[in-house]
Order: sequence, then C-alpha cells, then structure tokens
Amino acid sequence: MEQINATVECLDGKYFIKIKTGGEDISIPMSDDKPNEVKSAFNKIITRIKAGEFEIKLEVVGEDLFSLVANEYLAQLNREIQEVRNEMKQYGLVK
Amino acid sequence: MKIDIHTHTKKCKSGDAPTREITPEIFCETILSTEVRIIAITNHNVFDLNQFEEIETRLGKDAQVWPGIELDILEGEARGHLLVIVSPKSARDFSAAVEKLTKGFTPDNFTARIDGILETFDAFNPLYVAHYKQKKPNLSDAMLEVLETKTQKPWCVIKEVTNSISAGIYISHGHSSIYGSDIHDWAKYEALSHDLPDLRLPVDSFEHFCLLLKKDTTTINTVLDRKTPEELVLHPFDDGSELSIKAFNDINVFFGPKGTGKTRILEAIAKHYSENGVEARVYVSASDNLDEIFDTKGKNLAINLNAYDINYCTDEVKALRGASEVSVTNLGKFSNYFRETNTSKNASKILLKDIDPEEGGSAKHEFTEFNLAVKTTADFIKFLTDNPSVKKELDDEELTDVTRILSELLTRLGKREWTSFSDWKEIVLLNSAIKTFRREIERKTGKPAKPTTTGFRDYAMNRIMIEVNAAKIVKSVDTAIPMRTELVGSLGLNKGDLQFLTEFKFQSGAVSDGALSSLTAVKKIPQKKFVNCVRHILEHAYADDLFQHISELNAIEDVENIKTVHELLLFKRYFALNGQPYSPSSGESSMVMLQKELGTDKEVYILDEPERSLGNEYISDVIVPLIKERARAGKKVFISTHDANIAVRTLPYSSVYRCHGPSGYKTYIGNPFTNNLVNRDNAAEQLDWKKTSMKTLEGGEEAFGERGKIYGTN
Repeated sequence: MEQINATVECLDGKYFIKIKTGGEDISIPMSDDKPNEVKSAFNKIITRIKAGEFEIKLEVVGEDLFSLVANEYLAQLNREIQEVRNEMKQYGLVK
Repeated sequence: MKIDIHTHTKKCKSGDAPTREITPEIFCETILSTEVRIIAITNHNVFDLNQFEEIETRLGKDAQVWPGIELDILEGEARGHLLVIVSPKSARDFSAAVEKLTKGFTPDNFTARIDGILETFDAFNPLYVAHYKQKKPNLSDAMLEVLETKTQKPWCVIKEVTNSISAGIYISHGHSSIYGSDIHDWAKYEALSHDLPDLRLPVDSFEHFCLLLKKDTTTINTVLDRKTPEELVLHPFDDGSELSIKAFNDINVFFGPKGTGKTRILEAIAKHYSENGVEARVYVSASDNLDEIFDTKGKNLAINLNAYDINYCTDEVKALRGASEVSVTNLGKFSNYFRETNTSKNASKILLKDIDPEEGGSAKHEFTEFNLAVKTTADFIKFLTDNPSVKKELDDEELTDVTRILSELLTRLGKREWTSFSDWKEIVLLNSAIKTFRREIERKTGKPAKPTTTGFRDYAMNRIMIEVNAAKIVKSVDTAIPMRTELVGSLGLNKGDLQFLTEFKFQSGAVSDGALSSLTAVKKIPQKKFVNCVRHILEHAYADDLFQHISELNAIEDVENIKTVHELLLFKRYFALNGQPYSPSSGESSMVMLQKELGTDKEVYILDEPERSLGNEYISDVIVPLIKERARAGKKVFISTHDANIAVRTLPYSSVYRCHGPSGYKTYIGNPFTNNLVNRDNAAEQLDWKKTSMKTLEGGEEAFGERGKIYGTN
C-alpha cells in the first residue's frame, strides 16, 4: 500500500495538516472550523482514492496539541478512507 | 397450382439447345421444387414412352404428367408448330401412333399436314395447342380454322402465346389462349416457373381439364362446390327486399354500373357476418387516412425500455433531485478533546471509550453476499424438486444426489451467513457502544469526548452515490434504441417497399433535430437542460461546486414531471423508401392501405372499389395476387369493382352483376368458368359473363381492345 506523508504546518499562526499527494497538496485547517475547506480537502482525497490504495502517515508526531490532534485525526481518516475505498470497489469506481 | 403445357426433355432437333436434355430424376426434382403440378412433355417430333413412364412413376401423386409432342406442320408454304397432348391413360397407344407417323423421318425433317394429324390423333381426344401469332413458328388462321372445324372437340384447340399479358388479351377477344415455358435451359426453370399460368380451379386429370375447357356447367359447379359455398340472405335495400347470394370462401365479385346498390350489398354482408360474430367491415379506400392509421404523430406510441435493457432510473432520478450536502466533523472537536484531558477517575476506568470504532462496511458486504447465496441456493433446490422437466430428465437417484449436494452446500452457506451476520452486528454494536459511552462520559463530566468520525465516510459515500446515480442516468440516455421498421406495403416492382420507421432517441443534451418530438408531456427544452445538468453533476461529483449543479437541476421548468429517463425520450415517425424519408402520394397511400387491409389475417374481406386511385399495373402485379392468395387460404373475399383487372384476372368463383333498366333493378349471378350470368328472378334470362363484364368494367369491347395497344401485342 502506498504511503502518503503528511505534516503539521503553521502559517500566520494558523495550523494545517498538509497531505503531500505528489500533485497538489491537500490542506486541512485545524485552528479554525472551516467546513468548506475540509470538504474541499475531502473531495481531493476521494479523487485520490480512485487512483489507488494509500495510507496517510504523519511524518513527525510531536507532543504538542496540534500534532496529537493531527495524529488522531489522520488515524480515523485512514480507517474511513479504507472503508470508502471498499465501498467504491463495490460500485466499480476504483482502478 | 400451376400448369406448364409445353416442355422439352430432349434435344431432338439439331437446333435444340443441349440444356433441354434432362434426366427423369432431375426433371422430377425440378418440377417438385416449383408450384407446377401439371406438366406436359412435348418434345420435337418425338415421344419417348420409357422416359414418360419413368417420370410418371417418380412423380406419383405429387404431380400430373401428360404425354405430348410438338409437331412440325407444313401446309403448302406455311409452316407452324402444333402441340398434341393426350391423356396419360393413352400414353402407350399415343407412343405407337407417333412412331407410326414419324417412321422414316428424323426429328429434323419430319413434317405433317393438319389432316394427317387429325387422322392420327383425333381419336385420342387430345388437346391441340397451336403456336399463335408472335409464338413462332405459328400456325396460320387458315390452318387453325381447319383444325377447329374438323376436330371432334373444337373447345380443346388452344392458342399458345408468349406470355400472360398476350394470353389475357387474346382471351378477352374470345380466343382460348395459354402459354407454356417451352423450356430451353432447365437450370432456369425454377425462376421461370413463377410466370406460368395458375390454375384457378382444381384439375383432377387430363379429362377433367378438357371438361372445364368445354365450360361444362355440371363439372364446373362440382368443382366450385368443393369450396363450401354459403347462402347469404341479405336485406340491403330500404324497401326491405331480399337478396340471396351464394358466397364462396373464395373471391366473390360485385359489378355493374354506378348507383346500382353494390355498396349497400357489401354493407349488408358486413352486417350479416358481424351479427354472427365474425369480424367484418367494408374497406373503403381513403388515402388521407394513412397518417392517422399509422399514427405518425405518435399519439398512441409507447415503448418499454426494459425490452432494450435500459434502466428507467426511477430511484436514481429521485435520489439526484433530493441530494444534499453531508456535514463533516469540525476539527475543533478533536482539539477540544486533547485540550481538555479528562481527569474523572470513573471515566478513566471506562476503557471502551478509548477504543477506536471499527470499519463495518466489509462485514456488512460479506453478510449480504452470503445472504444472497443462501436464498439463491434454497430457491434452486425448490426449483429442482418442483420442476416437471427436471423430473423427466433425472431419475429419482440422480435427483436425490443433486439435492443432497445442494442441501449440504445450503447448510454450509447458512452457517457462514450466520457468522458473517454476527461479525457485522458485533462491529455495529461495538461502534454504537463506543459512541454511546463517549457521549455519556462527555455529558456526565462536561469534558468533550473523542470524536468517533472525521465525517469523511458519510461525506464521501454521499458523493459516491451521486456519481453512481448520475452515471446510471447518463448510461441510460446514451443507449441507442434500434429503429422500429414496419413494412407498409409494396409501391410496385420499380419503386420497392414502403416502410414506416419509428426512431426513438434520448435527449442526450446535444440533440437539436427539429423533426424529433418529445414522447411525453415534458417539453424538449427542459429535457435538454435536465440531461446537461446530470452530465455536469457527473463531471463535478467530487468538485466543490457540485451542489450548484444540483440546484440548477431542481430549478428546471417542470422538472417534477421528469421522474424517469422515459420522460427524456424523443421520437420521429416517417415513411421511407430504401431507408430515405418518403412522402407517399395519394395513389401510393391507397396502394399500401389496401395491402395492409389484405395483409391483416381475418376470415372475411369486404372491399368497396379497391381500385380507386390505383394504376392498372399495380392492381395486376400486387393487388390481384394478394386477393388470390387470400382466396387460396380459404378466406371469403367480397369485392365491388369497376375494374376489369380485378373482375377478370381474379376469376371469381361468384360474380354478382347489378344493373338498372326500365323494369327496375336486376341481379344476375354467375361465374367466368361457365361464362354466364343468370337473372336470379328469371333463370331463363342469361347474360354472357365475359361480354357483360367487359362492357360494364371497361365501357365496351373497344376499350378493352385498346389495352392490347397499351401493353403491346407481343
């Protein structure tokens, strides 16, 4: 299974999870509740699922709050990505 | 049943084509592959008894073969050919007579005079068939007059002409005429046989044929009565007077001047049959009804998409129109969880809350698969044990074996079904418990619980379902529906068949053909917008602006009327010739409507002046054969006509002639075989069928004669 790295990034005091897909990076905001940006990130993840199986791994897991949050969030996201991929297989939507 | 009075089986003269030679075996095979059931062998100046007898034996009762000869006649300078055909019963004596006559001659140098022919053959009561006019070398009128004068049975002298048209013309002028194949190449016989004369009345034997030629009334009536005639008692007129006619399950023609009540008689016949439970109506040509009959506007047009494996997409359309965005979990919930560490001692003891939820989709899918396998296997076992065909094919032991194996499989599948169900529900229960415990601890401690989901799964599945539904709709509307082709009828040998085509097409979003109409009440513009919106939805299933397109879909005018892809159908219907759109003329419309009427399978056909707007050639080539075909099938065909082509060429079993004179209306009944028409109120008053029909149908014998010029007198 392909591994995609992610990092916790801080820009102007705002924290993000940056997922490096190889193409356009996917960014999930952590500091603010911005559902549309999260949805936009999810859309990109769904498109990426179609291309092949993968797992997102946080490159560095620190002890700070955002690292803990990102680590937990990605763990759950990975489980759900796997579940969605299985469902997509049933509909013949993945390669 | 066809007759061929002129065939050759041997190359006798030096000028004869070698392709005239045929063995008895091939001869019989060839004849039986055609509709010819009476055939005369008439070689040049030769009769081969052995060959004849072998052919007769081989044909058995499948066809009649008559012995004959084609003789060279020489009277002074005049030379002609004469066929002499006799009864098969006289074959041996006939053979001896031919041998005696031709002794000392070769087929090339033999000639005879009419007197010699009569002296040798007239005792056989033969059929004399003389080459006539364009059929060369022909007997002169003087030679024929000698033959007709001196033979015992002048009605058995027939003139052989070159084709059916010539025969028709000569018959109309009072000459007994026929034509035969005079075959030169047997390889072409099958194709050529289609043009040979049809026998309108069944002919049992050579002798029977001669009696029919004599127009022997008893013989003819006996033959006609084989068709189970029916006495119709009608009251067609306002004065209540009774008209009784003998109707045959064959062709019954009504003719006479206009205004003599023929249509009223047909209506009375239709009423008679309808009242007796037989479908019957008077067909009247009305060319302007063609569009209505064929429903060119598609008022009653319907299509079952399932027949073309096209999904109606009822659920998909509904789901797409009702689709809405799914929320995602705020990341703040995760931050809050880690920010507020729970210090409750009791809460720390509840470890369940710290377990991550499990993915349950796969377990659910596995259960669904086993569940389906169990149901299918159980149904199959029931089918095997109940199905009579299976029981016929398998004996008890085999059936027990098959059932046992399948039952064992069912047991194992049932176990797997149960374990997969419990695995699935275990996950559901676990996830539910985790969620519940987290919520309760959050409620009791006031500290946020760890979120159970990022919201990705539900968000993604919502989008996936939108893609799946949109894709199904697009797949349906991108399916091509085969064109429906219906044969309307023939427009004659030159033009070919007129077809009625129905094209169905889904509005794909790009169809702009103005000739296409919407199949349903949904207008074309909303159809187009709908399909384009669905295509955009499919393209943008994972785009941020997806729900803008769904909003656009729901904003389309009358979108609520689009419940399935059926409402996205377009159609056009048109007449076509050779695949190209074609507008039949008024006459052509009449042609095909009449064909449609005759093409409908029923017991009684009642046609009022079917020739209206139709050309002679079309009546002869298409309509007359169709009418004859219906008659051969034992159907009752009643025709009122002013057309000689129909009245003469169909040779109706019954002819009813209506006329009006100083003493009022008269009805004559007869047929062309006896060639008379008898006044039903005064049997002594009789008319000549041929003369009367020609006079009435064509306006006089002169007019009939003109037809010869039109066709050419070949």
